[in-house]
Amino acid sequence: MKAVCWMGKSNVETLTVADPQLLNPHDAIIKITRTAICGSDLHLYDGFIPTMESGDILGHEFMGIIEEVGKEVTNLRRGDRVVIPFTIACGNCLFCKKKIWAACDNSNPNAHLMEAAYGYSGSGLFGYSHMMGGYAGGQAQYARVPFANVGPLKIESDLHDEKVLFLSDIFPTGYMAAENAQIQPGDTVAVWGCGPVGQFAIASAFMLGAARVIAIDRLPERLEMARSLGAITVDYSEEDVSVLSALKDLTAGTGPDACMDAVGLEAHSAQLQGTYDKIKVALLMETDRPSVLRQAIQAVRKGGTLSIPGVYGGLLDKVPFGAAFGKGITMKMGQTNMHTYMKPLLERIEKGQIDPSYIISHRIMLEQAPEMYKVWRDKKENVTKIVIDPWSDVAA
Amino acid sequence: MAHALKEKPYAEELPVAAAAATILGGRYLPPPEDKDGKRWVRTSALIQADPHDLYAMWRNVEAAPAWQEQIAQVVVTGERTSHWVMETEGKAIEWDSEILADEPGKRIAWRSIGGDSDNAGEVIFEDSPGGRGTIVTVLQEFRMGKLASTWETFVNRNPKQAVIENLRHFKALAETGEIPRTENQPHGDRGVIGKMKASTYGEKIATPPGSN
Repeated sequence: MKAVCWMGKSNVETLTVADPQLLNPHDAIIKITRTAICGSDLHLYDGFIPTMESGDILGHEFMGIIEEVGKEVTNLRRGDRVVIPFTIACGNCLFCKKKIWAACDNSNPNAHLMEAAYGYSGSGLFGYSHMMGGYAGGQAQYARVPFANVGPLKIESDLHDEKVLFLSDIFPTGYMAAENAQIQPGDTVAVWGCGPVGQFAIASAFMLGAARVIAIDRLPERLEMARSLGAITVDYSEEDVSVLSALKDLTAGTGPDACMDAVGLEAHSAQLQGTYDKIKVALLMETDRPSVLRQAIQAVRKGGTLSIPGVYGGLLDKVPFGAAFGKGITMKMGQTNMHTYMKPLLERIEKGQIDPSYIISHRIMLEQAPEMYKVWRDKKENVTKIVIDPWSDVAA
Repeated sequence: MAHALKEKPYAEELPVAAAAATILGGRYLPPPEDKDGKRWVRTSALIQADPHDLYAMWRNVEAAPAWQEQIAQVVVTGERTSHWVMETEGKAIEWDSEILADEPGKRIAWRSIGGDSDNAGEVIFEDSPGGRGTIVTVLQEFRMGKLASTWETFVNRNPKQAVIENLRHFKALAETGEIPRTENQPHGDRGVIGKMKASTYGEKIATPPGSN
């Protein structure tokens, strides 16, 4: 089959590799009909996530048709149409029973690597480093799905792939971010980063009762999309704009009730701290660039909530923890507990409350992935979301 | 002081003493230190299963190759004895093992009685505080020196880590009926460094099959 492989930092290739096989009794093999490139794939592309190795198949947002199931999979049959959650969960450990699916005890074969780095291991993820399980990803024509009795969401309606594909990660991730923000009706919520997760976080914040959402980014096409959802936008790259002042001005000096960092470890900052973080990361004195996190802690109101869907990987420098303590804020974060959100969010799509496909800007074939990773990283061509049809042989 | 706090509606009974235990007389008990040629590893897991079922799974030594790394074969040779064969890349080490203590649903202790490996161990099964599953704690001792280092080289896995990984496999098998694995997945060219790293990640060691 054809698959998009990580071959080193800033080096992605579409290669012909072996087809996946059933390896365990609860596995399924799916023929992938649509897959996407995630913002968090850029952390891999840019070499920020350790234990990526040459030859790893990328991709954790995918859906398709069941091709084959293992002998213990009784809920799925060949021909079923499914969306696959990017976190792999066994369904039986204490964490799965508590519905903290992203903390599954049993899905990471390389748990010892994550234990060394983080103390305890979270669930395995598709296509996201050996530390996170070393599972082959879904930017390919086929994929093996472990614990297929637990994860895949069956699509029984005739909704187009593009409308349900983002149930694999970014829609639930944005929704859980809004839920983690503990929004009360009437709240004002600030969202840093208007990429796909930020978009769904904004939409979800309104669904959960936010009266006002303030969206912060620098890319005009993203800010435009945020306004189309009803958010007020702040372009931090404009010279006369201070984000902290803007948020005070827009909240009567009180600060947002909740802040969401939908940017994560590769934040850009026009300020001196942006340069500071780039130098420290280059010197291996810091692994992540936390300028959005710093700003969000500073911006949130007293007793407010900071929700962090953006990915962080390692050690962060000069995080103003005194401000977090001094204001008594709550912080909630982590990989998405996918399995909790997929079905209810599918129902919202089926009811026509939201059509997640509005964020798609590019539709490509597998062979175009290497060039499109670069476009995605450099934010060229007004890119907002890239979707791949792995069986197409016509360049878009 | 034992009566200082009268109301503790959810408080647990203090556990009884066992060699592998982590608590003794209400105090945390650290694992034994490596010395005098002995190396120790203690590891534990919280498993969503009945302690009697877990005991039975562990006690069925002939099924050990399903969940223990590099164990090629175990043959029961007596009521309390068995013969173990460990194999990697065509080389084998063998030893006999004897069960010293056998308390159904609670505890199994064993030691090797001749052969290429000198080891002893204990596993205990306890209800977790608050009824959140069964705590399985393993204490394993290795006599180190030439033999043990040979073993380490043999199996390409530090023996302490092997005990930790085996308990992880045991838990996965008990909770899900399988052991998570990624070997034989498709991938692009690993290159020289990628192949070396697969070894440091422990990915060169075959994941036990999960069934016999």
